[in-house]
Amino acid sequence: MQQDRLSDWLVNHDLVHRSLGFDCRGIETLQIKTEDWDSIAVISYVYGYNYLRSQCAYDVAPGGFLASVYHLTRIQYGIAKPEEVCIKVFAPRNNPRIPSVFWIWRSADFQERESYDMLGISYDNHPRLKRILMPESWIGWPLRKDYITPNFYEIQDAH
Amino acid sequence: MATTATFLAPTGFSIHGWSAKTKVGRGRRPCSIKSQQQQQQLEKEQDQQPTQSQTSIPPQQQEKARVQQQPSPQPMAKSKNMSREYGGQWLSCCTRHVRIYAAYIDPVTHAFDQTQMDKLTLILDPTDEFVWTPDACQMVYACFQELVDHYEGAPLSEYTLRLIGSDVEHYIRKLLYDGEIKYNMNSRVLNFSMGKPRVKFNSSQIQNV
Repeated sequence: MQQDRLSDWLVNHDLVHRSLGFDCRGIETLQIKTEDWDSIAVISYVYGYNYLRSQCAYDVAPGGFLASVYHLTRIQYGIAKPEEVCIKVFAPRNNPRIPSVFWIWRSADFQERESYDMLGISYDNHPRLKRILMPESWIGWPLRKDYITPNFYEIQDAH
Repeated sequence: MATTATFLAPTGFSIHGWSAKTKVGRGRRPCSIKSQQQQQQLEKEQDQQPTQSQTSIPPQQQEKARVQQQPSPQPMAKSKNMSREYGGQWLSCCTRHVRIYAAYIDPVTHAFDQTQMDKLTLILDPTDEFVWTPDACQMVYACFQELVDHYEGAPLSEYTLRLIGSDVEHYIRKLLYDGEIKYNMNSRVLNFSMGKPRVKFNSSQIQNV
């Protein structure tokens, strides 16, 4: 089937990945290891995925991993339903570092900054990785499951 | 406004706000603080991080009520270095009753000197929502001093100033619930921002009405 194509291609080329099945819209999901992500990102760009539709990140479980998710698709003239793939990279919580794909797909610029700001995943080789939503002097990673909101008066009680 | 004016007039304070500042050479702790400060300054320079220039919160503060015991406030201070290219960072925390600035604000002329970032200025209740007695002001000042001592060594950023400001606000609310201060019924905006007055609250007279 069309959806399995990337997975088969990777297997044919002996690249380690783990298929996570299909999500509700039928998009195949792969899990890639952090150290392989650099090369596989380039490979998928060469394979034809020239558009990073979105990059997001989430906290898998308290004390567990942080996941960075990439939706890739292929923008091409004349194709109504382009191939899509969803790639997840899991980073350990104590040292979450993932290679940045900024130099491959430019749209990762702000989106990786947001993942950094909210979850603390630092992206290597990102040219300007700094907080984008929270004030620059904020301490802590707000969207982690173990984050505790500081007891600021104006958030809780001010009229 | 009337209440603060009568309080402030004998010592020649300004009308608009009550600024709590302490000078360095306070009577109680003369020399040890200075050496600590020098050490802090050295640490400050050594700990400069490359990504973000952070300075630690110094132990200095300014207090206005003890003006007689201390070196005179700086009469020649002028508003300077407020814009970003001169280094003014406008580090501040402003809530309704507490405004903390990392600068020296002259109590009389309101000159805002941004170069002196080693001082924290607290402006207490500029909208006069509460009736302030000198004792209550001293209590808030003591709380502020304690908090700054507690946060010594923390990076000087808006986040830390907001933590300090929020703690001072919680302390002011505690004073209100204990009856040390009460709402000013002649304030321009009377919206009881720290809770409506209640009858038989903590079994002591807290707010009038």
